[in-house]
Amino acid sequence: MILIPAFNEADVIADVLGEIRAACDFPVIVIDDASTDNTVAIAERAGATVIPLPVQLGAWGATQTGLRYALRNGYDTAITMDADGQHEAASLAALLEPINTGVADVVVGACTQRGSWLRHIAWKMMKQASGIRLEDITSGFRVYNRMAIRQLAGWRATLLDYQDIGVLLLLQSKGLSIVDVKVPMQPRRNGKSRVFHSWVMVVYYMCLTLTLGLSKRKFAHRYRSPYLLVL
Amino acid sequence: MVSIVTGFIGLLVAAIIIVMMRRDTLHAQHGLGWIIVALCFALLGFSPEIIDHIAQKFGVAYPPVLALTLAIAVLVIKILLMDIERSRIEVRNQRLIQRMAMLEADLKKLEEIPPDTIESTE
Repeated sequence: MILIPAFNEADVIADVLGEIRAACDFPVIVIDDASTDNTVAIAERAGATVIPLPVQLGAWGATQTGLRYALRNGYDTAITMDADGQHEAASLAALLEPINTGVADVVVGACTQRGSWLRHIAWKMMKQASGIRLEDITSGFRVYNRMAIRQLAGWRATLLDYQDIGVLLLLQSKGLSIVDVKVPMQPRRNGKSRVFHSWVMVVYYMCLTLTLGLSKRKFAHRYRSPYLLVL
Repeated sequence: MVSIVTGFIGLLVAAIIIVMMRRDTLHAQHGLGWIIVALCFALLGFSPEIIDHIAQKFGVAYPPVLALTLAIAVLVIKILLMDIERSRIEVRNQRLIQRMAMLEADLKKLEEIPPDTIESTE
């Protein structure tokens, strides 16, 4: 099942859903993070199931709602995609492959070409702090298998604010294997990142993420992606 | 004179807390702690010598420092406990919101199915 957290995406969500529908026939769930425009109506008209959050929970809170929904309804695989058209449905087959062959529990669609040099510095710091060895830790284009869904649907994951380091560290601490697969990504169709849009937010986000990364990182040895080991 | 004033302030705070508990403005489990704090306040207000004796016993040269240090320690612990409690409440609240949204989605699905087919699918 495909999970799409959406907040005020009325302009683009119909196109995004249309492209997904054209590329595959997985059920699509849009988790509406208390949008103030008509995202819900448009998504429903496009044939998606909509989970309407009554209160805004942020991108991760919405994504977790979708994961809990997938768990409740007995789905074995959950794909998360952004509602702003960054992620191409055409890459789904490549992302699903490590899950289907049992190589990994979680696959992250990585596109390191995107983003400014500032974002690359941020990524570097986050990787250093947490000891996670993945290309693109902030990517929202991911596939989770049932074990990963079960871990992320739990209350421990509810405490997290963002889906990057906290989620990856939680999965890693449960012994699940995470790999990244390089995929192309489109520029955002409606402009803004929800994190990287104001300086205050960026500073807050970085402090929070680095604290989380440093406090929860593994003590003994650094984690290495099995993907890299294979190479 | 000063000791009587501070002592009465302590008693007044204790009285206000009891009134608030009687009106259910303050939950009994929080009120208990505050009454103890207010009573300590009153006790130290009426007889500040207590602190002097304790300070002497522990070798603190300037007794008010002991009182202030203890007060700050108690406050820090209290604030930490409050944040722990708040995290717990946030999790519960968020999971409740998520559950509600999921049920709303399920409900909408059920509404779309014509009523006579529901029984046959059960």
